Amino acid sequence: MATNPMHQFEVHRIGPSLSISGVDVSFTNSSLFMLISSILIITFFMIGTRKVNIVPDKIQLLNEIVFNFITKMISDTAGPKAKPYFPFILTIFLFILTLNMIGLLPYAFTVTSQIIITFFLAVVIFIGVTIVGFAKNGIGFLKIFAPSGVPIFLFPIIVAIEIISFLSRPISLSVRLFANMLAGHTMLKVFGGFVVSLGIVGGWLPLSFSVALTALEILVAFLQAYVFAVLSCIYLNDALNMHH
Amino acid sequence: MSEFDDLKKKIELTKNKYKSSLPQNNNNIIGMAFRIGIELVAAIFVATFIGYYLDKWLGTKPIFIIILFIVGVAAGIFNVVRSAKMINKG
Repeated sequence: MATNPMHQFEVHRIGPSLSISGVDVSFTNSSLFMLISSILIITFFMIGTRKVNIVPDKIQLLNEIVFNFITKMISDTAGPKAKPYFPFILTIFLFILTLNMIGLLPYAFTVTSQIIITFFLAVVIFIGVTIVGFAKNGIGFLKIFAPSGVPIFLFPIIVAIEIISFLSRPISLSVRLFANMLAGHTMLKVFGGFVVSLGIVGGWLPLSFSVALTALEILVAFLQAYVFAVLSCIYLNDALNMHH
Repeated sequence: MSEFDDLKKKIELTKNKYKSSLPQNNNNIIGMAFRIGIELVAAIFVATFIGYYLDKWLGTKPIFIIILFIVGVAAGIFNVVRSAKMINKG
């Protein structure tokens, strides 16, 4: 069982089984790691902002780097109008980043390798952006489906294409994160299995691969969190600054 | 000679500017490159899904799934072109 590379993705219950009106709401390893990452993020900011100095100490400096990074990202992709959404983007980014990074530790569970989690996050963003779009532009938000300067006989096709491409956003957003995490962790486990089965003689090659893959996975973990946040900003930009 | 010094300073400045902006930019491009493949598949998937259920609902078995599949491919290519444009813009 331990050599099965998919074994690491199994969700299992921790503690008693709870259910509210037939829906299973018991505490699982997935919930545990989400809780751990939330606590980590909160403590990170609590320690960083405990006493704020003009010349920051190390943790405060890290806090400021994260803040500046997200601020720059939002102003680059969505403009000054998106400033009120900073806390949301920061939360999404840090939550996914922490989940991805914690998942790289041995014996840890990668929450973002579950499609339901990433899909839920993506759907929240999708619905939120749609609501923001309608709230800011009223019915004019529907113009997002009808770019100007299209010949009249192409109009229905373009509208259909735009609607499909709008509806495909949550799918592409969630599948990207999920697939990258799932594939990466399966690869790590497979190469780890090779090291064990080839033993002390032949195990060095897969071991070196494993090391390289771990480095790649750290990059992917960061990038996927970044891409998720950037795409939320881009979608927000479409909703806030309607230019076509 | 002072002109030469000025030029030297300018080169240094430009070099520093690029040094500080390069990794950030790179990051962005790799990030965007991750988008493209899935963008195409997602649009086709969503369109075919909608087509399948429209057919089931209206009882017009192969018509909507075929039309929406084609529209989905078009939407996917649209998405890819749009992402590529975004990369080009930086």
